[in-house]
Amino acid sequence: MTQFSTDSQRRADVCVLGGGIVGLAVALGLQRNGLSVTILDEGDSALRASRGNFGLVWVQGKGDTLPEYAAISRLSAQLWANHAQQLKDATGIDVQLQQRGGLFLCLSEPELRERQAMLTRMRVAAGGDYPFETLDLQQLREFIPEAGPEVAGATWGPEDGHLNPLLYLRAMTEHFLQRGGKIDNSGKISRIEPTDSGFTLTSDAGQWHGDQVVLAAGLGNRDLAPQVGLSAPLVPNRGQVLICERVKPFLNYPTGHVRQTNEGTLQLGDSKEDVGFDPGTTTDVIAKIAHRASQMFPLLRDVRLIRAWGALRVMTPDGYPLYEASKQYPGAYLVTCHSGVTLGALHEGPIADWIASDRTELPLEVFNAKRFTL
Amino acid sequence: MNIPVYDLVIIGAGPAGMSAAATASSHGLKIVILDEQTAPGGQIYRSISNPAIADENILGADYYHGRSLLTAMRYANVDYLPGSIVWAVSPDLSISFSRAGKSSQIKAKKLLIATGAQERPVPFPGWTLPGVLTCGAAQILLKSSGLTPAAPLILAGSGPLLLLIAAQLNRAGVEIEAILDTTPKGRYLKSLRYLPAALRNLPLLIKGVGLLVELKRSGIRYVNNVSQLKALPGSNQLLSKLQYSVDNRIETSSCTTLLVHQGVVPNVQLTRALQLEHQWDELQQCWKPSLDSWGESSQAGIFVAGDSGGIAGARAAEYMGELTAQRIAQQLGKLNKESLLKQTAKAGRLLYQQQAIRPFLDAMYQPADEFLKPSDETLVCRCEEVTAGQIRGMVAQGCTGPNQTKAFSRAGMGPCQGRLCGLTVAQIIADERKVPVKDVGYYKIRSPIKPLTIGEIADLAE
Repeated sequence: MTQFSTDSQRRADVCVLGGGIVGLAVALGLQRNGLSVTILDEGDSALRASRGNFGLVWVQGKGDTLPEYAAISRLSAQLWANHAQQLKDATGIDVQLQQRGGLFLCLSEPELRERQAMLTRMRVAAGGDYPFETLDLQQLREFIPEAGPEVAGATWGPEDGHLNPLLYLRAMTEHFLQRGGKIDNSGKISRIEPTDSGFTLTSDAGQWHGDQVVLAAGLGNRDLAPQVGLSAPLVPNRGQVLICERVKPFLNYPTGHVRQTNEGTLQLGDSKEDVGFDPGTTTDVIAKIAHRASQMFPLLRDVRLIRAWGALRVMTPDGYPLYEASKQYPGAYLVTCHSGVTLGALHEGPIADWIASDRTELPLEVFNAKRFTL
Repeated sequence: MNIPVYDLVIIGAGPAGMSAAATASSHGLKIVILDEQTAPGGQIYRSISNPAIADENILGADYYHGRSLLTAMRYANVDYLPGSIVWAVSPDLSISFSRAGKSSQIKAKKLLIATGAQERPVPFPGWTLPGVLTCGAAQILLKSSGLTPAAPLILAGSGPLLLLIAAQLNRAGVEIEAILDTTPKGRYLKSLRYLPAALRNLPLLIKGVGLLVELKRSGIRYVNNVSQLKALPGSNQLLSKLQYSVDNRIETSSCTTLLVHQGVVPNVQLTRALQLEHQWDELQQCWKPSLDSWGESSQAGIFVAGDSGGIAGARAAEYMGELTAQRIAQQLGKLNKESLLKQTAKAGRLLYQQQAIRPFLDAMYQPADEFLKPSDETLVCRCEEVTAGQIRGMVAQGCTGPNQTKAFSRAGMGPCQGRLCGLTVAQIIADERKVPVKDVGYYKIRSPIKPLTIGEIADLAE
C-alpha cells in the first residue's frame, strides 16, 4: 500500500477513480498528454470486473442497435495493435494480443440464421463496410476441425481477437507507475466536492485534490456521478466463467463461448444473469455452460475444470457505454462500459485525448446519460 | 431432478465425522457421510478398518483407538459413501459431489464440515525437488500400504508430529540419518507461561516426553537449532543433498529422501468457498472459521468440527464431533436444551482437557520465520511457479492483498487453488506492508473446490 502524507503529494492534474482496465487506460492516455495522474482505487476485496472478464477484443455483433457503438468498437480494435506494442516496448510485458479473426458458434439453424440477419443489418447500417461471413459446419471445421456434430455453423468476424486480460492489467499498471503515476488503493472515495480550482476527493484514508476528475470506478460510479452533476444508471449483470486445465492448443481462434489462451488454458463462459451484487457461482449455470461448450467441442468433456468464478458486468440499461463531460462542473468526466478490453485502445487514445483537450471527433454525444431520461 | 434430502450431511470420516455420525444416529436422524477417502478413519486413523501393518507397536496404541470410533459408526444407521469428492456447496445447502466419475447432488438440513487439517506448506529453497516429501505423505504410505521412503533419509522440521513419525518409521526399521529440529532458540522459555494450563493434559505431555526419550535412546542423530534449509539436486535433478545451518555453521548431508514438517493447519477450502466468517489465529499462525461453542459457523445450519475448525488433535475432534451432533439433534427437535446440556457435559469436560495443552504446543512449535516468510528465491506458488521475491515486488507496486497478487502473477490460480501458497502469500504481504495478517486476508476460493471434468459437470445439465 502506498501512503502519501504531505498535502503537495496528494495533488494531481487529474485524479482517476478506479484502477481497473478502464481507469488505467484513460490514465495512460492522460499521461501521454503530459498530465500528472493519480489513480484512486479500492483494496483487495473490491468487485473488480477487470479481473473477471473473458479477454475478447470483439467486434462482430457489437452495436447492432447503435451504429456509433459499432464504429468505436471497430476503431478500438484497429488501434489495438499499436496499444499492445507500446505496452510491450515500455514494460516488456506481452499482453498476447491476437487479432486473426473470431468465431461465434451457433447450435441450431434458426440461431445461425438470426445471427446472420443481425450482422447483415449491421452491414447495411455501416454503408456496406462491415466484414463477416456465415459458415456451415463443414466450413467451420476448416477453421476448427474439433467442432462437434451438434454445431449448426458459425459467423466469422475477421477483425475479432483476444488477449490475456490479467497481463493487460499488469502491463498498464507497470507503465503507469514507470511514468511517475501514483496509485493509492487505501479505500473507496466517498465524497467528491467541486471547488474553485478543481475537485476535492475524500476517502477514509484522507483527502485528494485533482484539477480534473475522471470517474472510471465501474459500478462505483453510480454513487459518485451525481456528486459532479452527472448520472450513471448502471446495474450489475453477472457472468460466470469456467477455467480449465492447460491442454494442447486446438482452438486457433477465439469464439464467443470458448477461448484458449497462449498457455493452453481454456476459458468457457458468457452467461448473463441479473442477480444484483452477488458475484458468486451456481452449479446450474456452470453445468449449462459446460454442457453447451462440450456440444461445441466434444473433446472438452475430458478436460478438467480447475475453477469457476462470477464477475459483475457494468451495464447501462441499453448495454452501451457512458462517455460524458459534466456541464455543471467542468473538468469532471464519466467513462464507463462493460467492454473494457475491446475499448482499451480507444480509452488510451481518443477518449484520453478528449479529456485532456476537451475536444473530440468521436460521436460522443450519443453516449451520454440523457438518453435514459428522454 | 429429485434431489435426496438428509437431516445431516457430514463431509469427512475422520474422528470428528465418525463420532458425530454415531451420536446423531442415536437420535434417529437421516445421515449421510461423504468421504473423499476409500475407507473411514481420515488421516489419523487411515486404513483403520484394514490396517496395512501387522505389528501394532509400529503405529502405536493411539492409532488403534480409531477402532472404537469405527465400531460405533458401523453400528449406527448411516449412509456411508466412500470415494465422494465434494466440489461445491450452495448457501441453501445443496451439495455437489463426484463419485466414480459421476456427479450427483444432495440437500442437507444441517451440514457438518469435518474435513480435518492439511500440513502447513513448508517453502524453502529446493522444496519442490523430487525426493522432498512431507512427514504426512510418509505417514500415508506407511498407514495405507506399509511402505517406507528410500534411505538415506532425513527428517527436518518442528512439532509433535515430526517426532511421532520419526518414532514410527524407526520402529518400522527405517534407518534415519538425522532429525533436524528447526524449532527456533528460546521457544522453550516462550512457551513456559502456557505450561501450567498444559498440565491439565498430563497424559499427553508424558507421551510427548516419552517420544523424545525413545528417539534419544534409538541413537538417531538429533540436531537442534537448525536453520537455512536448502535442498540441492544431483545431476539427475532429484534431491541429492541437504544444506543447513547450525550455530552459524553451514553443514551438508547426502540424502535421497527429505521429510519436512511444520505442523498442521485447518483445511479451509470449503469454509472459504462458502464465504463463512474466518479469523486469524496468531498463536497457530493460520486461519480458522469463526464458530460458536457448539461448532456452528457464521451461517446458521453449517457446522464445523475437528481440525478443520481449528487445530486441536484427534481426541478433541472426536469430542467436538459428539457435541456438535447433539446440538444439531437439538436444533432438529430431537432433544430439549436441558437434556442437551446434560448429555454433552462429559464430552465438554474431555474437550476442555484436550484443548488445554494447545497454547503450550502452539507457542513451542510455531514455525520459524524462514518458513513463514521465505527468502526471495523460494518458490511460493508451485502450480504457477511464482517466487517470494515476485510477491514482494508486487507489494511494492501497490498490491495490498492476495487477490491482487493473484491477478498480477497467477499465484493461487493453479489446480491446488492456493492450498499450498495461500498462507505464505498473505504472510509475505503482511510482512512487507507491516500490518497484521488478519488485515491482509485470504484468497477468494472458487468452486469447484476439487477439479472435475467438463463432461462430468455438463451431464448435470441434462
